[in-house]
Amino acid sequence: MEAKKKFYQTDAFRMFMGKYGIGVVLVFMIVAIAIMKPRFIYPSNILNVLTQISVNCLIAYGMCLCITTGGIDLAVGSQLALVSVLLGQFIVLREMSLFPAIILSLAAATLFGFINGVLVAKFDMAAFVVTIATQLIIRSIAQIISDGKGMSLATPEFKAIYSGTLVGIPYPIIYMILISIVMYILMHWTKFGRYVFAVGGNVNAAIASGVNVFWTKTLCYTISGLLAGIAGVIFTSKTGSAQSNVGLAYETDAVAACVLGGTSFAGGISTAPGVLLGAIIIGCIYNGMNFLNIGSYYQYMTKGVIIIFAVLLDMVINKKNR
Amino acid sequence: MKKRMLATIMTAAMVLSLVGCGAAKEAAAPAADAPAPAATEEAAPAPAEEAAEAAVEAVGGDVNGDGKIIVGYISKNTVDVFHATLNGAAEERLNSLVADGTITEWTGILDGNTDAAKQCDLAQDCINYPCDYVIILPAESTASDPAVTSMADAGIGVIVVNSATDSTDSAAMAFAGSDDVYAGELMGNYVMENVPDGGVFVHCQGVIGNSAQIQRGEGMNNTIGANSSWTNAADVPCDWDASKAVNTVDDYLAQYGDDLKAVICDNDDMSSAAQTECNAKGRTDIVCIGVDGNQGPLQMVKEGTLGATVLQDGAGQVNAGIDAIVAAIKGETVEKSIMVPFVLVTSDNVDQFLN
Repeated sequence: MEAKKKFYQTDAFRMFMGKYGIGVVLVFMIVAIAIMKPRFIYPSNILNVLTQISVNCLIAYGMCLCITTGGIDLAVGSQLALVSVLLGQFIVLREMSLFPAIILSLAAATLFGFINGVLVAKFDMAAFVVTIATQLIIRSIAQIISDGKGMSLATPEFKAIYSGTLVGIPYPIIYMILISIVMYILMHWTKFGRYVFAVGGNVNAAIASGVNVFWTKTLCYTISGLLAGIAGVIFTSKTGSAQSNVGLAYETDAVAACVLGGTSFAGGISTAPGVLLGAIIIGCIYNGMNFLNIGSYYQYMTKGVIIIFAVLLDMVINKKNR
Repeated sequence: MKKRMLATIMTAAMVLSLVGCGAAKEAAAPAADAPAPAATEEAAPAPAEEAAEAAVEAVGGDVNGDGKIIVGYISKNTVDVFHATLNGAAEERLNSLVADGTITEWTGILDGNTDAAKQCDLAQDCINYPCDYVIILPAESTASDPAVTSMADAGIGVIVVNSATDSTDSAAMAFAGSDDVYAGELMGNYVMENVPDGGVFVHCQGVIGNSAQIQRGEGMNNTIGANSSWTNAADVPCDWDASKAVNTVDDYLAQYGDDLKAVICDNDDMSSAAQTECNAKGRTDIVCIGVDGNQGPLQMVKEGTLGATVLQDGAGQVNAGIDAIVAAIKGETVEKSIMVPFVLVTSDNVDQFLN
């Protein structure tokens, strides 16, 4: 018996399922929706869903790093607003060209990410408290800069950041693919990535093995700030408007994507492809519910039920595999 | 083995939860499919029912030529009282259009979540659905604009309802809304008529930057604001929030006492709360007025605890928008801009608006 293991009993399969079992849920979902509404899997709609999730996916990658170290970054929604407002100031009021304006805006978001990181890592404050506070501060700064007003940012060059395509593939999907590759390498192939998992898994063991906990945590929040900044640029290009009241509650979808992707709130467990799958599931839920004519009052409930079942299912499938 | 069974059951439950929620409305669809060709009566040789799916030419109101007339509905949100009422009116009307075969189906109320970016996503969903006509209630004038233009570019007939976006004039098939400046003027005139001697008033604003807030304020300034016997104590940002309006009333009562004669609010959730506060303090003489015509304030007008409120006819707006779609389907000319008037509701006419 022992010599002849069935394929699903092999270690390789178990490890694969342990990491990406949520993919099974995604496949079931896509098949179920497509049977009821074949248009759901038309290429144009698949591109549509992938384009829609790009903003959430980028935020979720940053969120995933923070959650993996045992923290969370709730300031990301405000970061979107800050970047949006700064882009308006730089491009419309100061008539800067696109590239420096985007770099400066990203620098601001990265700086606030860094501040989050220092507060969490250096002073050992609870990430939840720190980022909820900086969320308020960052949004307030965005409102002060913009004086609460929106401004149109619909120049063709700027709009192209969201609506442009390369061989038929919308730019946001390309950004998402590139960043997914970078995040995969960063999380799974580099020393920094291993440190992130070490700090989240057992911080004392990490310290004992010589991991610099301060820099590891700080870098996670800094990267989260940068990614939220990039998401903010895409977001602003999408609506063609620079204003401070955007990005409210965007952190919830990012957290949901992480959780669906197998990121553990206990820290130390997550995968980059898992986050991508989680983001795609969220996108399919939103798009699929609209395609299936699910009434808007039922949509939140459906979303909640699916998240609970998906995570439960993932746990049941993988109880032995982790 | 037990685990595996459990896993299978859970997957089934999850898929069913999706199917279950979708099924209720799906059931109505086949019934609607049948009468669809009837809507294409004008088109010379109506394509056979089987071929309808593949027909490329647009017939009747079938803009994208897939043999179906599908209407999308992108709401601003589903939680504000005003929008819930408006969405309800739209739901009733669109269901009846499906029932009588004018349209094949509609998307149900898509929740814009008061988020322009979300509305842009929903616009893409509608393009892929694929919708022939889409009604949209924009969350923002600038930021929701890509939703309108992207659908117009995709050939969809876009009907903008309630408030316009930047390129509504050029991109949308029609706009149905109301003139908020006029609402502000109605409020100003009502206060001046009811308190002829003048005095001090305070203005509770909506969320700053909102077009309704700006224009209602403008109408107010055109009338009572320009009258020398009245002094505006302050324009207070209350974010459409009734509790902030009550705080404002308390603050300015403390400051001006008997000189405070009126409270003008950008919506009537605030004005009804303000009036309740004044009445509780024994100042029933203070005139509070706002805009919307929500059921709570209307009930107060009926009871006589609130003098008047300005009704924004949301149901009228959305029905005017749907009328435009029906006209387009029948091949009639569609009016580009449809203005639905505000109504001053007092104890004389409140009964016709109370549910």
